[in-house]
Amino acid sequence: MTVVLPSPAEPGHFLLAEKLIFAALLIASVALFWRRFGPVLRRILESKKDPDFRLAPVSGRVRDFVWEVMLQARVIRERPLPGFAHALVFWAFCAFALVTVNHCAVIFGSGFLDPNGIAGRFYFCFAAAFAVACAAGILGLFLRRFFVRPRWLGPLSRESGLIALLIFLLMVTYLAAFFVSAASPAARALWWAHTLTLLFFLPVIPHTKHLHLVLSPFAVFLSRGGFSRIPPLAGDEDFGLVAGRDLTQLASLQAYSCVECGRCTEHCPASNTGKILNPKQVVLGLRAYLNEYGPKSEEPLIGRHESQEAIFKCTTCGACEYQCPVGIEHLPIIVGLRRGAVNTGEWQDSHGAKLFLALERGSNALGLSASERDRFVEKNALPIYDGTQEYCLWLGCMGGYDPKGREIILSLVRVMNHLGVTFGVLRKEKCTGDPVRRLGNDLVFQQLAESNLEALKSSNTRKIVSICPHCVRTIQEDWKEFGAPPPVEHHSEFLARYASRLPPAQDRKKIVFHDPCYLGRYRGVYDEPRAVAALAGQVVDPERSRERSFCCGAGGGLAFLGEETGERVSHARAKELTATGAQVVGAACPFCNTMFRDALAAQGPGAPELLDIAQLAAQGLPKNDPI
Amino acid sequence: MKIIVAIKQVPERDAPMRIAGKWIEEADLQFAMNEPDAYALEEALQLREKHGGEVAVVSVGPERAGATIREALAKGADRAIHIVCEDLAARDALGVARLLAAAIRPENPDLVLTGLQSEDLGLGQTGVIVAELLGLPHSTLILQVEKTGGGENRIRVKRELEAGWFQFIEMPTPAALTIQSGGNKLRYATLMGIKRAKTKEVRTLAAAELDAGGEPVVRLEQISLPKKQKSTQILPGTGKEAAAALVEKLKFEVRVL
Repeated sequence: MTVVLPSPAEPGHFLLAEKLIFAALLIASVALFWRRFGPVLRRILESKKDPDFRLAPVSGRVRDFVWEVMLQARVIRERPLPGFAHALVFWAFCAFALVTVNHCAVIFGSGFLDPNGIAGRFYFCFAAAFAVACAAGILGLFLRRFFVRPRWLGPLSRESGLIALLIFLLMVTYLAAFFVSAASPAARALWWAHTLTLLFFLPVIPHTKHLHLVLSPFAVFLSRGGFSRIPPLAGDEDFGLVAGRDLTQLASLQAYSCVECGRCTEHCPASNTGKILNPKQVVLGLRAYLNEYGPKSEEPLIGRHESQEAIFKCTTCGACEYQCPVGIEHLPIIVGLRRGAVNTGEWQDSHGAKLFLALERGSNALGLSASERDRFVEKNALPIYDGTQEYCLWLGCMGGYDPKGREIILSLVRVMNHLGVTFGVLRKEKCTGDPVRRLGNDLVFQQLAESNLEALKSSNTRKIVSICPHCVRTIQEDWKEFGAPPPVEHHSEFLARYASRLPPAQDRKKIVFHDPCYLGRYRGVYDEPRAVAALAGQVVDPERSRERSFCCGAGGGLAFLGEETGERVSHARAKELTATGAQVVGAACPFCNTMFRDALAAQGPGAPELLDIAQLAAQGLPKNDPI
Repeated sequence: MKIIVAIKQVPERDAPMRIAGKWIEEADLQFAMNEPDAYALEEALQLREKHGGEVAVVSVGPERAGATIREALAKGADRAIHIVCEDLAARDALGVARLLAAAIRPENPDLVLTGLQSEDLGLGQTGVIVAELLGLPHSTLILQVEKTGGGENRIRVKRELEAGWFQFIEMPTPAALTIQSGGNKLRYATLMGIKRAKTKEVRTLAAAELDAGGEPVVRLEQISLPKKQKSTQILPGTGKEAAAALVEKLKFEVRVL
C-alpha cells in the first residue's frame, strides 16, 4: 500500500475578472508597501557612510547571520520560550516563501509546485508542518503579549494584535485547503482569503515594528562587529552624534530595525533602578528623529527625541547591546550622543567638568597628586619597569591611588613574587582614559592615550597585566585609534594560568563571584576569575551571572558623576550577591569593588566580606612569603 | 565689553623639581595654564556671554607658551597676543608687567583681568603693576564681577577677605582686576574648541620690539627647594597631663599662646 501525501486544494481555473482584480490588488499592495518603505530605505541610504565599515571578513558575517538570523540562536537563548515561539514563526515564513510565490502564480496558471507530483506534495506537507508550528507559536506570542503582558513590551499595541491575527489567518487558510476538494467553492474561497490576507499584510509591515522582518537580517549581517566598538571620528567637522547629518547608515538601519521587544530595557541597570534612561527609547528616538527631520538635518539630535539627561545615565555595561536580537549596537549610539554633547561643550555637569579638568591637567581620574602614586610605589619598593621584566604591571587610577585598589595590587604582587614572575611598574602612568572615552570627551582621551602609548614605547613594554577590566579594554581596543598598544591581559587571565602552582587556602569559604561587565561581556572572560576564586573556596553564581551579569553602577564614567537618582545600582546588585548566602563576595574589578564596598557596608553587620580575586589567590600563600 | 586676560604658562602641578642655576630644570617639566589665570579667563568668558564684546588673551613666555594660548582660545577667547620672551625667569614682576602693559595699552580694553598670582613664583604683583603702568583703578582677590545698574561704566566686584569675609566694591571701568581661584566653575576644553582655535588670530610680538625696557628692580640671588623637616614630639602621660604639657610648650617654647 502506498501512502499518498495530501496537498492543499487549488481552484482549477480562474475567471479573467478574478485575474484582473488580483493583479490590481497586487499592484496596490506593493505600491502601498513601497510608499512607506521607500522613504525609510532612502533615509538609511542617504545617511552618512560609516567611516570604519569593512565588509570583510565575510565569513564571520555569514556565521553570525546563520547563527542569529537563520537559527534564531540569540532570540531563543535570551528568552527561551517566547524565543522559540518566534523561531517557529520565522522558520514558517522561510518555508512559506516558496508556497506564497506559487500561490500567486497559480491564478495565472503558472504554479510550479505540482499538487499531484511527489516533490510538490512533499513541499506542501513540509510547509504545512511549519504552518501548524507557526499557528501555535503566534498564538502563544499573542497570549503572552495580551494576557501575560510582561512590562518590557510597553503598553498594549493593537498593531501587534492585528499582525498576530493576519499571521494566524494565513496559516489557517493554508491548512484548511488540505481538507476541501479542488472543485469545491470552498477551495476558491480559501484561495482568496489567503490571498487577501497576504496582500493586506504586505503594506502593514513597513507601518509597524514588523519592518524588522525586512531590515533586521541586514542589520545583523552588516553590524560593526566587536562589542561596543566606538567608531573613530572622521575629519575636522565630526564631533560625534550632534545632528542628523552625523547619523551613519548603520545607525539609521539599526534604528529602523528595532522590533521594540524591550530586552535592552529589561536588562538595563539604569532602567531597573528608576533612572530616566531607557535604551529602547534611545533607539526609537533616532527613528522618530529620522522620520521627522531626515538624515541630513542640522537639527540637534538631543532635543525632542533624545534626552541628554538619559544618555548620561548609561553605565555602558553593554547588557542592551548583548541582548539585542536584531543586531542594534546601542553603545556606539549612546557614546556617540555623549561625544556630540561633550565635544561641543553642550554638556554641562559640575562632576563631569571636574573629572575632565582633573584629566586635562593631572594624571588620574581621582584628581589626586601624582606624587601620591610615587609614594605608594616607593613605600612598597615596587620595581620600576625597565624592559627586562616579563610584565609591566599597570597600576591604573584605582591601583595607584585608591586604598583598596592598592591592597589588590599588593596581593597580586605577593602572588607574582611567589611565582617568581618578573614585573615592574611604570615610573609615570596616566589614566587610560576609560571614563572620558565613555563620557565622550575625545580631546582628553586622545591626549591620555597618546601620552601613555609614548611612555610604554619608551620603556619598551612587551606585555601588560592589569587589575582593572576598564584599563584592559581601553588599552587593548580604544587606544588602537592612536597607535599599537602592547598586548594586555587582566590579572584573572594571568592568575588562572598559574592557578595550579598556587597553594589553595586552608579556610575554605563560600564565594559568590560577580562578573564585571568589562571582563565578561566586553572581553568574554568568565571561567578564569572563577578558577582563581576557587583557590579560596566554593564559587557560586548569583541570580544574574556571566553574560547576564548585572552592573555595579560604576561604568561609563558614572563612578565620577556623583549621587544617583532613584535606587543605587550597586545596592540592587549587592542584594542579589548577599542573597546567595555566600560569606565572601569575589570581585575582579576595582570599580566594582569600590561600589560594593559602600553597598555592603550599608547592609550592616553580617554582610559578606568583599575581596578581589587577587586577594583570594593570595590567601593560601605561606605567611612568611616576602611581599 | 572688551576684556583682556593676561595668562601665564607654569609648570604642571606635581612637576619634578630640580634646581638648575637660578631656575628649575625645565627639561623634566610639563606645562599648564596658571590656575588663577584660568579663573580670570572663565570670568571674562562669562562676562562676554552676558554682555557681549570680545575676550583677548595676552601671554608673555617662550615658544612653548603657545600651547597654553591655544588652550585659552579653545576655551573660548576670541584672539591672542603672544609676547615671545625666552628669558622670562630672568625678568622681575616689573619687567613682565612692562611687556604686558605695552601690549595692552593700544587695545584700550574695558577690563584687564589676570590671576592674583602665579603658581610657580607666587609674587602676586604683576597684575597690580600692570594696572599702575596703565593708570587704571584696580582691585585684587576678586571672585565675581558684575555690571551695575548705576551707569554704563561701573562694575561691582566681590573681593575675598580673611576668615570667610567678603568685601563688595563698586568701581569704574576701565579697570584691572586680579582674580582669585574658585569664584566660578571652570569649563572643560572641547574637541570643537581646539579645532576652532586653529583658525583664531594669534599675534606674535617679540619682547624686544615692544620697547618696554628698563632695569630690573629685583635681583634674584638664589633659589632652593624647601627642606623637609619633621620634629614631631609625642607628649607622654594621660590626656590631662599631655594637655598641660602641650599648653606649657605652646606658651613658653613656641610662644603662640
